[in-house]
Amino acid sequence: MKTNPAVPYLFVAPGFLLVCLFIYYPVIDNLQSSFFSWNSFSPNREFLGFDNYTRIFGDSVFQIALKNNLIHALVSLLVQVFGGLIIAAILEDNIFRKVAPVLRTIYFMPVLISITVIGLLFSFIYNPQIGLLNKLLEVVGLEQFATGWLGESSTAFSAVIAMGQWIGTGYIAMLYIVAIQKIPAELYEAAKMDGANKIQTFFYVTVPQVKEMTFVAVIFTLSQSMLTFADVYVLTQGGPGNSSQVLSTYLYDKAFVDNEMGYASTIANVIFAISIIFYTIQSKILKTGKGD
Amino acid sequence: MKKIMMVFLTVFTMLGLLAGCSSNNSSESGSAEGKGVTLTLLHRWPNEPFKGYFDAAIKEFQKEHPEVNFNVISVLNEDYKQKINVQLSSDTPPDIFFTWAGEYGNKFIRDGQALDLTDYAPEGGKWEDTVIPSTLKPFMSEEKVYGAPILMDVRMMAYNKEIFEKLNIAPPQTWNEFMEVLKTIKKEDITPLGLGNKAPWNGGLYMTSLNQRIVAPEVLAADNNRLTGTFTDPGYVKALEKLQELVPYMNEHPNALSREEERSLFVNGQIAIMPLHTIEFPYVKDAQFEWGTFNFPTIEGGKGKESVVTGAPEGFMVSSKTKHPELAAEFLRFLTSQKMAEKWVETTDVISTTKGAVTKENASPIMVDVIKEVEESDDMVIWLDTALEGKIFQPYLSGIQELLNGEKTPEQVMKDVQKAATEVRESAK
Repeated sequence: MKTNPAVPYLFVAPGFLLVCLFIYYPVIDNLQSSFFSWNSFSPNREFLGFDNYTRIFGDSVFQIALKNNLIHALVSLLVQVFGGLIIAAILEDNIFRKVAPVLRTIYFMPVLISITVIGLLFSFIYNPQIGLLNKLLEVVGLEQFATGWLGESSTAFSAVIAMGQWIGTGYIAMLYIVAIQKIPAELYEAAKMDGANKIQTFFYVTVPQVKEMTFVAVIFTLSQSMLTFADVYVLTQGGPGNSSQVLSTYLYDKAFVDNEMGYASTIANVIFAISIIFYTIQSKILKTGKGD
Repeated sequence: MKKIMMVFLTVFTMLGLLAGCSSNNSSESGSAEGKGVTLTLLHRWPNEPFKGYFDAAIKEFQKEHPEVNFNVISVLNEDYKQKINVQLSSDTPPDIFFTWAGEYGNKFIRDGQALDLTDYAPEGGKWEDTVIPSTLKPFMSEEKVYGAPILMDVRMMAYNKEIFEKLNIAPPQTWNEFMEVLKTIKKEDITPLGLGNKAPWNGGLYMTSLNQRIVAPEVLAADNNRLTGTFTDPGYVKALEKLQELVPYMNEHPNALSREEERSLFVNGQIAIMPLHTIEFPYVKDAQFEWGTFNFPTIEGGKGKESVVTGAPEGFMVSSKTKHPELAAEFLRFLTSQKMAEKWVETTDVISTTKGAVTKENASPIMVDVIKEVEESDDMVIWLDTALEGKIFQPYLSGIQELLNGEKTPEQVMKDVQKAATEVRESAK
């Protein structure tokens, strides 16, 4: 049967149109907006050229925010991706067979709770006077470390990151559990016969076999880190000072508090550029999708 | 045949998509025209007793105007500040919206978002006839009225009378007395002063009072204007130094506590003094002890007004895009009327800005004193974070947080503010 050559395009058309309308159009529109100085309810748009872009690289708050995002990404990679893989491998081990379902549920639970609720919960934990964390430190005799976690510039962002890890690790672990369950049992048997111990099996069988999932997990955590917003917003609103500001909260402040929409668009474009760079590097390093 | 079907299906899907995106406008305006009119009201009180007041007021208003339906949107402070920007930029902004005074409201006027209400004044007169003129002034620009104040929020120092009586101290009137009081309380192992500065506006309002005491009024007025603001007066640094003097007497980690937590500490008797807004009085009703208020102490050698209260009117504006300006203005006339203003004072215990609404019968002696002062004064000292624009108050407020943490000196904070003020001045030209 001959098909009309236009048919495949017609099938793609609705999806393509949707993507254009809701993704490509805003991206292009945003690029254009970043060359102007404007606010949301004034009709006047003043053309600035690249002024917003030159301004952004001299902006000290932007630098703090970018640095915080990168720290967040690095910690998330270590804790969520690597930690998640280890948790998954342990849970899938024969020794833990019996308790694994329960632990799996427990680790996954934070993903199901609304981030606002978690934020409130953690602001109680971090509370300097009645907070669990300080009380715990007191009980174990480390009260000299007790502090106002969210109120000190040195600890505020670490406290925010910690909450992010608590939420995210279970999710990544879940992804890895699925991936590990798909690894053929023969590989483990062969490794055992060759005399590999558990740690060797982990590094030489499990890690390479879940490579595809690692790619997904890395992209997921990195993009989550670059876009992280709610954690910071609920816990510290970027404060004290600007010490826990991240790119998206800074963008939000600029757009909706300071009413500098043009500058906010510029920040958004920089986030977009960084994300693309990250993606390109990852897909080069991990070389997935080609099969091996 | 199949092929043709498929082509049709695809085309219909695409058309459906496009139609879905564009049809909402027409349907919305259609329903509004159907039965009477709908006014959208955006205010910042999802909490009682204020929400109840507005709900009751709307019902009352509908008795006279049964054709009017209300669509009420209420969001709390911080959320309101963002929501208003988004709502006003849409094609269907709220008809009547809440605003603070100062640069906060001025930007709505400047960008043509607020309707000129001068000609909609109460019957045969001017807005000044019903509203206290000094509270109307912040809502005016070039002799025209762009909004109607409803209430006056005043920041007083609230103190725990039990602790004061036990230690045999009187509410301080000057800075030196204030410091003495703080010292005495601290000796008893009670935290003298509260500050929950997680949302940094709270520290900013301490500075509003301090600046007002130390900086000359004409300098303050010039700096609050975006065209002339410089913030180079040495008084600002001095004011920040005064705040530093208070830090040892505050609760630990002021930046880690929220305003709500600060209030709870006061209600639990764990802190002796906290600055409290008249609008917050209902929230400390649960206190098991008697509490009183005193005015922020005067500062020896300060160039500012000696005893003026820190406070600002708050009110409503009408959107310039509204389809029903007459009805929207009518609602504001209704809210500022004597009858509703008295009801406001009764329900909320907050000062009304309508002439003669606060009386000895329905209000506390403090409120009567305050309103007398307001009636006599010709100007208001407006909150730092609404008097200034975001570009300036953001570095100011974060600077205060860092000052409290001991990470910045007063000079460094003001340097950032001066830099921001310069940028604003240049962009405003």
